[in-house]
Amino acid sequence: MKINKRWEIPWHIIFFIFILVLLYPIFYALGFSLKSLQDAYNSPLSIIPKNITFENFNQLFTSLPALKITWNTFVIASVVTIFKIITSFLAAYAFVYFIFKGKNVIYFFLISTIFLPFTITMIPNYLIISSLGLADSVWGVILPQLADAMGIFLLTQAMRSIPVSLIEVARLDNMEHWRIMKDIVLPLVRPAVTSTSIWFFIMAWNEYVWPVLILKTVDNYTLPLALQMYISSEGGTNFTVAMAVSVITMIIPLTLYLTFQKYIIGTFVSSGIK
Amino acid sequence: MTTTILSIKNKEGRIQKIAPYALLLPSLIVLGFFMFWPFLYTIYLSFFDWNMVSTTKEFVGFENYIDVLKDPVTWKVMGNTMLYIVLLLAVNFVVPYIFAYVVEFVLQRMKGFYKSAFFLPAFISLVVGSILFTWILNPVSGPVAIIAGWFNITIPIWSKLDGWVIVVITLITSWKIWGYHFILLFASISGISKEVIEAARLDNIPLWRIFFRIVVPMSSSTGIYVFIITIVQGLQFAFTPIKVITQGGPNYASSNVIYQAFHEAFVLYRTGHSAALSTITMIIFIFLLIVEFKFVERRIYYENK
Amino acid sequence: MKKVYSLMFLLLLVTGLAACTGEKEESSSEAATNSEGKTVIEYWHVNAETQGGKTVEELVSSFNEQSETVEVVAKYNPDMYKGLMQNLQAEAAAGTSPAVVQVGWAFLDYFSNTFEYTEPQTIIDQHFPDDKTFLTDNFLPNILDLAVNNEGKQVGIPYSLSTPVLYLNKDLLREAGLDENGPKTWEELKTFAEAVKEKTGKYGLYIQEPADNWATQALLESNGAQMITNGKATFASEEGIQAYSLWADLVASKSALHIGWDQGVQSFIDGNVAMLYTTIAQRSNVQNNAKFDVATVKSPAWEGKQVKLPAGGAMLAITAKGEEQQKAAWEFMKYLYSVESIAKWTEGTGYVPPREGVADAENGLKQFLEENEMMQAAIDQMDVVVPWTSFPGDAGLQAEQMLIDMRDQVLSGSITVEEGLKQTQEQINSLLQ
Repeated sequence: MKINKRWEIPWHIIFFIFILVLLYPIFYALGFSLKSLQDAYNSPLSIIPKNITFENFNQLFTSLPALKITWNTFVIASVVTIFKIITSFLAAYAFVYFIFKGKNVIYFFLISTIFLPFTITMIPNYLIISSLGLADSVWGVILPQLADAMGIFLLTQAMRSIPVSLIEVARLDNMEHWRIMKDIVLPLVRPAVTSTSIWFFIMAWNEYVWPVLILKTVDNYTLPLALQMYISSEGGTNFTVAMAVSVITMIIPLTLYLTFQKYIIGTFVSSGIK
Repeated sequence: MTTTILSIKNKEGRIQKIAPYALLLPSLIVLGFFMFWPFLYTIYLSFFDWNMVSTTKEFVGFENYIDVLKDPVTWKVMGNTMLYIVLLLAVNFVVPYIFAYVVEFVLQRMKGFYKSAFFLPAFISLVVGSILFTWILNPVSGPVAIIAGWFNITIPIWSKLDGWVIVVITLITSWKIWGYHFILLFASISGISKEVIEAARLDNIPLWRIFFRIVVPMSSSTGIYVFIITIVQGLQFAFTPIKVITQGGPNYASSNVIYQAFHEAFVLYRTGHSAALSTITMIIFIFLLIVEFKFVERRIYYENK
Repeated sequence: MKKVYSLMFLLLLVTGLAACTGEKEESSSEAATNSEGKTVIEYWHVNAETQGGKTVEELVSSFNEQSETVEVVAKYNPDMYKGLMQNLQAEAAAGTSPAVVQVGWAFLDYFSNTFEYTEPQTIIDQHFPDDKTFLTDNFLPNILDLAVNNEGKQVGIPYSLSTPVLYLNKDLLREAGLDENGPKTWEELKTFAEAVKEKTGKYGLYIQEPADNWATQALLESNGAQMITNGKATFASEEGIQAYSLWADLVASKSALHIGWDQGVQSFIDGNVAMLYTTIAQRSNVQNNAKFDVATVKSPAWEGKQVKLPAGGAMLAITAKGEEQQKAAWEFMKYLYSVESIAKWTEGTGYVPPREGVADAENGLKQFLEENEMMQAAIDQMDVVVPWTSFPGDAGLQAEQMLIDMRDQVLSGSITVEEGLKQTQEQINSLLQ
């Protein structure tokens, strides 16, 4: 225990500096969302605005159906996250606890999709979505994202850490698969499920390349698209309104995270189960 | 009730055979339609000269591949990609590994605070991050330049300098993804049995040796995962700051294979070239995946072995 | 804890599904005709909120209110005309298309070679005999010519017009002991920029560096160079090299800033650059946010030579298929080109009006121009507008890209101006064959 003390202080200092650098841009965004654009240009150094103004938020809410847009984003991110987790969980369960023909080949092919850049999938997927008549709809954005090889990979890794004997005992007790999943596997891989869900949610929440292609009418927009409306190379970017959009974009997943944080971190700790 | 045991066995046997496929079905359908089909289509397109729209598609054999491989820009971009990978790994694999270890085993206070604070930037989209850093790191008039000016330091015009531009874009990308990698590694490291570490400490083994001898091997299943997503996801994430800040410039100095495939397909509309480049990239990645399967996978520590 | 978890899960699932079913009902009402029997057409634009996005919305909704037969749905495309082209490509691949699109000048040839479109006059002749002379009545021939491609077809109608102007930080110029009305010629501008650097330590000039060669073309062609002659690149002439050298020398001596567009404009607005050479579309951004004494002057000339400025902005082209859609497209376009609409458009976007009878009309821009003096420089130089070079053929966009790549090489000093221009010209010409 004594070894620790010597190292603790320097590490705290390193971490504090590190966190300062990490969080500076976030405070910058917060401060500038409350500044006028003119102030933003002319006082780039001061984070705290001299004259606080809500004009940026006001402009956002009057020119766009911001609540509807936030709602759309929430729906897309939630549905995508839930489905990705479920499909990944089922697939991982199959890979870890079953022996079947073609297992390695299927696993290899599924995992290899992690490497596919979106430039490959963009146009062909648009053709599918468009031919299904789902262009300009929230479902069109959701559909191609119902499964994710990253999730399969991560949950497979997590499930492999569970002692096989636990499952074997359950099978000998004639426990059904869905109950094994629910009562044995899920609690044990919950840290992986939680961290993956958070990441999937954040990813879907902030995605813009695919929704830009699919969504057309403002009523169907998502927050990252609303942000794009304030970015223009030719007319100049309205930095402060863009920051107002990003504050709103940030605040919702952040609130969710902080609300459930105690619980989320709890799951990480509980992974100490052997 | 007398025949149940047998019938259950039969039924079980059948379920046992069908079940894995049924469980895989949702993922297979979605990934099949929205990943495999586009990939096969891309391979097909890499043999044609086409711009996605015109009605004529000219079969050109391997000409696209030859063009791509002969183009000096391709090699420049491949070199950039290697540099991106090295930098991404340093910042998003090595650093979070060490930090996670320190937070879990070296520090005793503030653990919760660090865990939350490290993860915060992950909530912000990279588009926002890119605009923010364009302002903050403006070498003429941004806050960093002003502060550096007090000490008579001039910030180089990084967006126009070879090398620098990749460093800055990597840092912007890392700012977002770093925290997630930290959380993953932390979760894995905190799962390592405390007794083992304590015993090692009582034997006065230095911290760095504990890290390499015990912690890294015992968390290697997550480690390999983070290693892979750092490379694959990292290159994809870097796309956004490249697109927002430099559009691949100056003279391709910031482009990586992902951005270049986009540039060929959606800026120059050379679909065939883009498809060939993507296919080459995929072949390299899949080769790495096979290496991982064949050699690395065996050495990874799984607790249930 | 377990309960909280499953509760959260359930909550998300239910809300998610509820919302989605709601969504479905809404989207099913959207078809080629809406519930009132109006023809629904799509209008694709690139106007962000800072660039007239609001005006697009206003124009579309006021059109929809007054039209009994047509309903327009506007779609915003991020990332300017390049972004719009990307989305249009996906749409075309899927076999559908919007009715009216904004096409940036640099994409004139690519667009007309690649996508199906109908010349506006064709539709007018078929369905609207009353409008037969609408184009010739309301547009100057040199302006209409901007939308004529290499094959001589009138691809669309000019809608957004911009030219590059020189923005001045008068305070900085005064501080450097210079004429606050700015330089008239590029030669003068060079001494101005160097003086600013020497006297104030700040940058004298920033010339915009987006992913196109618009400003470069203005600089070179004003000196008598030609970007393209009879389908061949010819910019590496003596005049071209001379013009480019001025820029490269200024960058080399740190009198001019070599940086991305956003950061360059930002540095002008916060007072670190004395002169900014960029599009008039940046006017409201500069005017509203600069705290110093700011003004615009016309694009500088080269001593004794005629200024030639490429038109920036876009035209409206009709990609509608089928008679109903095409008729609706023209009805909408005609509305957009009315004096009142164009006046609103100019006020909202900061572009120069493309048609006649707007700038001085009472129901047009008279008052606006009095209030925004910085617009005047752009309006005054409309007579020297030339088409923005659009390289012909399938490799046109690639040629454009080579010039952008060359710009970075030359300005960073990794290649001399002469070498750079000659080499690039050769490459482009072998590509265009």
